[in-house]
Amino acid sequence: MTVRVAPPSSSAVITPAVVVSNLRRAYGDRVVIDRLNLRIERGEFVALLGESGCGKTTLLRALAGLDPIQGGRIAAPRRPAVVFQEHRLLPWDSLWRNVSLGLQVPDARERAAAALAEVGLGDRLDDWPRNLSGGQAQRVALARALVQQPELLLLDEPFAALDALTRIRMHELVRALVANHRPGVLLVTHDVDEAIALADRILIMRDGAIAFEHRKPDDTTSIGRTALLAELGVLVSHAAA
Amino acid sequence: MSNIDQAVAPANLDQVQTANGQASAERGSTLLLGKRSLLLLLSWLAPAALVMSWEVLARAGWISPQVLPAPSKVIATAIRLATTDSLPNDLWVSLLRAACGFAIGGSIGFVLGILVGFSRIAEAAIDRSVQMIRAIPFLAVLPLVIVWLGVGEAEKIFLVALGVTFPIYINTTLGIRQVDPKLIELGRIQGLGSLELIRRIVLPGALPSILTGVRYALATAWLALVVAETIGAQSGIGFLAMDAREFLRTDVIVLTIVIYALIGVAADAIARLLERRLLAWHPNYGGGR
Repeated sequence: MTVRVAPPSSSAVITPAVVVSNLRRAYGDRVVIDRLNLRIERGEFVALLGESGCGKTTLLRALAGLDPIQGGRIAAPRRPAVVFQEHRLLPWDSLWRNVSLGLQVPDARERAAAALAEVGLGDRLDDWPRNLSGGQAQRVALARALVQQPELLLLDEPFAALDALTRIRMHELVRALVANHRPGVLLVTHDVDEAIALADRILIMRDGAIAFEHRKPDDTTSIGRTALLAELGVLVSHAAA
Repeated sequence: MSNIDQAVAPANLDQVQTANGQASAERGSTLLLGKRSLLLLLSWLAPAALVMSWEVLARAGWISPQVLPAPSKVIATAIRLATTDSLPNDLWVSLLRAACGFAIGGSIGFVLGILVGFSRIAEAAIDRSVQMIRAIPFLAVLPLVIVWLGVGEAEKIFLVALGVTFPIYINTTLGIRQVDPKLIELGRIQGLGSLELIRRIVLPGALPSILTGVRYALATAWLALVVAETIGAQSGIGFLAMDAREFLRTDVIVLTIVIYALIGVAADAIARLLERRLLAWHPNYGGGR
């Protein structure tokens, strides 16, 4: 398919990574997303919270172009990259072959090597996925997404299956990678603290639309957390200090 | 020969045990190793003892040579036939038949399997018919095949091909169906075209199942060949056996049976080697590393 190599982005100009207007997505009669509007700038980290079944993942899949939409418009300059909850590495390919999957350039191996080095696995180019821990596999999945130099990076609960310590390390890594590559990011998550830790902007989805928007102030306070939890229907009476 | 084996083997075992006792501080592992090699020895001693008693009984005249010749007689016959007679030629003819039939049947099964695995339309058009034909024990069509093709090379190759087609077909479609749809979705996200998707994701994913089909097919190919060659042949291992039957040469008949068995073992070994090579990535085949 077509090779998409990003031109060196003039970082001063803010351009949207994706603009969604009046999106409608339904399975038969059941409307999951209704008149949803969303705009994510390049370099902006947006977290999407919401109860199970509120349509978060449906929105992400629509943005990824995996599912057809029934109305509205999704304007994305290029095909987005996606990291799922499962690593989805091809077990029969070495790590560098996995990372360079779909990359049609002559120096695919070098680029894969650079991407793997960026996630701290630069010495494992020819290793097999089965020799990786859960966190390492997810790091390879991140490298595979970023090697495509996406303008929009979609993360579908990518840390949900990891243990707490690994998750914190992954947060640091993702923060650094996003600061480096500056894609627009949409992180779908259940974890309020994860959203607070990573996102510039937090959205809460309800009844198929964005119900609440919280732009993170400079200081992250527990007030924000309590408010977010309240929006999600969780009342924290003894709020932790 | 067997006497020498028995004399040497226990001595070896002693050596293994004492060497381990001296070298290793871990008594547990030493005992385990000793026990394991003992069991291994036993597993080989048992069949050796069987062959030995067969030899003794045959030599003592308890078993008539016309019923079952002594193993030593079979070996002598093998050496004689291999050097003076047509055994290499017959072996070659049989192998060639099996290979031709396998190539034809395997190709048909693979191509049909790919079509049905990928296309719902092809599945609707092809699958039911194939499943119906598969319900027939393929050896049952032999009389019909003889009417069609006579008793010649074509008939034998046809029968082998028929036996090979179905295991390959079924395991190819099964393998393609079992490829994780999440990986295919990922391929689309990474921007793979249809051909790339098949090459990079679908076929590698289906390969374990396809190779299982190859192993089954090797077994049926061999069975088909034995039957086809027994029915009527002017050359080949089966011909050797039927020819020997007319002269009550049980030593030659037993030899052909042994050859069939050895080739079956060799074919399976090749299939296993293929699996280890091609599925090195697979935890169940590549050997944990």
